[in-house]
Amino acid sequence: MNVKSFGITLGKFASKQKALVAILAMLVMMLFFPTNFYTSYNLIDMLNSSSVLMILAFGVTITVISGGCDLSIGGVMVMSGIIAIKLMEFMNMWIAIVIAVIFGAVIGFINGFLVVHQKTEPFIITLGMGMTLTGLAQHLTDARPVTGSDPNFMMISNGRIILSFTNLVIIMLVVLLITHVIMRYTQFGRSCYAIGGDYDVARYSGINVILIKWGAFVICGITAAIAGVLLSSKLNSGSSIYGETTALVVNCAVVVGGVSFAGGVGGIFQAALGLLVFGVLENSMNMLGVDSYIQILTKGIVIVAIIWLDSFSRKRKRERV
Amino acid sequence: MRKKFELRKTFGSFFTNYLVLVAIVLLVLVTMIVEPKFLSSGNLTNIMRQFGPLSMVALGMTFVIIGGFIDLSVAGTFSLVAVVTVSLIDPIGQVPALIAGLLLGALCGFFNSVLILTAGALTQAEALFITFGMSLVYGAFALITTGGAVLNMRDITSSISVFEGIGQGTVGIFTVSFLIFLVCLILLYFFQSKTVMGRAINLTGGNKTAARLAGIPVDVSIMVIYTLSGLMAALGAVNQFARVTTAAPVMGKGFETNAILAVVVGGTSLKGGKGSVLRTVLGTLLIILMSNCLNLLGVTPYMQNVTKGGILVLAIWLDNRKPL
Repeated sequence: MNVKSFGITLGKFASKQKALVAILAMLVMMLFFPTNFYTSYNLIDMLNSSSVLMILAFGVTITVISGGCDLSIGGVMVMSGIIAIKLMEFMNMWIAIVIAVIFGAVIGFINGFLVVHQKTEPFIITLGMGMTLTGLAQHLTDARPVTGSDPNFMMISNGRIILSFTNLVIIMLVVLLITHVIMRYTQFGRSCYAIGGDYDVARYSGINVILIKWGAFVICGITAAIAGVLLSSKLNSGSSIYGETTALVVNCAVVVGGVSFAGGVGGIFQAALGLLVFGVLENSMNMLGVDSYIQILTKGIVIVAIIWLDSFSRKRKRERV
Repeated sequence: MRKKFELRKTFGSFFTNYLVLVAIVLLVLVTMIVEPKFLSSGNLTNIMRQFGPLSMVALGMTFVIIGGFIDLSVAGTFSLVAVVTVSLIDPIGQVPALIAGLLLGALCGFFNSVLILTAGALTQAEALFITFGMSLVYGAFALITTGGAVLNMRDITSSISVFEGIGQGTVGIFTVSFLIFLVCLILLYFFQSKTVMGRAINLTGGNKTAARLAGIPVDVSIMVIYTLSGLMAALGAVNQFARVTTAAPVMGKGFETNAILAVVVGGTSLKGGKGSVLRTVLGTLLIILMSNCLNLLGVTPYMQNVTKGGILVLAIWLDNRKPL
């Protein structure tokens, strides 16, 4: 009997935490292959390579939880990286970075105005914004990568202050903690959940829905800009092609992690898990020497499978009610 | 006084309803004055040729958006159909290859609808991610089929007269691809406005629960819109590779966003339930003319992306401000 109830609890856990189960399955699978997967170097490298996307994902999660979505992050990311690198030539590096982050906030503000204040469809309007920004980035750089002039710029991401973790990973963890605290323990965060759960109910309960949701877009713009600066610092270059499929992949990963696109459900940690699914998947396939086309195929199948399962469980719930 | 007000109101509603038409006329006028070469027969034929592939993908996409969903998988389907058709010409002959390609497109679309129906996805967002995943899958199949190489039609030893006809042929002043587009348009317009299925798609997009309760075959509508979208993407792919005489496994990239752009700029609402294939034709025309005119005016392709994105944002914003 105990075994049975344990099985039921395990089943419930598995159906709720699909991303975690997928990660664990991959980790266990990798035990049986003689690769360098379980070396501290590789594990840190895996974290390092998914950190930029994770920072993007934390901002997106806030918009998704409050019932929106942001596909302009790819454009914001490349633009802010290019702005930081271009401005560095005439001014202090840190001022250039601050301007790049302010740029992200402004784009988030415009997105928020169009989506929240003017009540347009979020994903198509942010898609258009992303297209515009990518075009602008191409125009600014002639579609060629630009390189940073300050040698210290590279150290922002690649330096190692604490143990053997790169600063990028540390910054990612800090952003994770800050966004988590905002979403869990502040009035703003709780209001985001309320708005995502039911917009009208939240409005009638006295929450300033427009301002809060607008704020979510601004935060998303800021995190996207931070991610852009860090990516440019990691590679010491900015280019318009980095962000091509980023927006859709990150939004997908957030949903894969268990943040519902209907809004009001999920959290920052779930988003991190969703991104880790792709990080672990990519890393382990590289370790096994899988053909790159097969990797794209696997990625597509994983996205479809997890989102299909997510929708299917919601359908079952609807039918039960 | 009252009459004047009425007049202004009708003018205003005409202006918001036919904004695309106004934009097209303005664009053509400005380009004609600045660059008279715009009206040369070479350029007009060129516009007609470019018009084919995008307009076909956009026509298919119109039904998906009217039905309240979205289809990002057309990019993958487009690439897959192109490479599979070209690689099948030698083994099975050109006409069977053409038919196989179109069937493959329809099959891809049908498979999307099966996934969406079995998952019980009701919202645009769920459809967006499922079809994005499928786009990766189809695109990966395209890459695996050719091993990443670009297929050239010159390497084909058997006859490719049909594809040469589609790509280069002209009938009178029209290109063959434009005629194919006209036939598709007439058929789809008839399908949308005169058949039960066409009306059912509109009602499905309006309100799925209400449509289901009213006895509208919602599930069948969803299957039809996705299959149609896949089929039209396949037709667009055939036109495209016949025009450029090569088939690359990534050639569909960008077609999904451009098709959505054409549909939305044309005035079909993303909320579903409203819209028409004729509006999509206007939207496609604006996009094709815009890139042609901006090229003639010497604007870099990078800046064209900016104008495209800007127009998309502006069009949706204006559409949203339109009184219901």
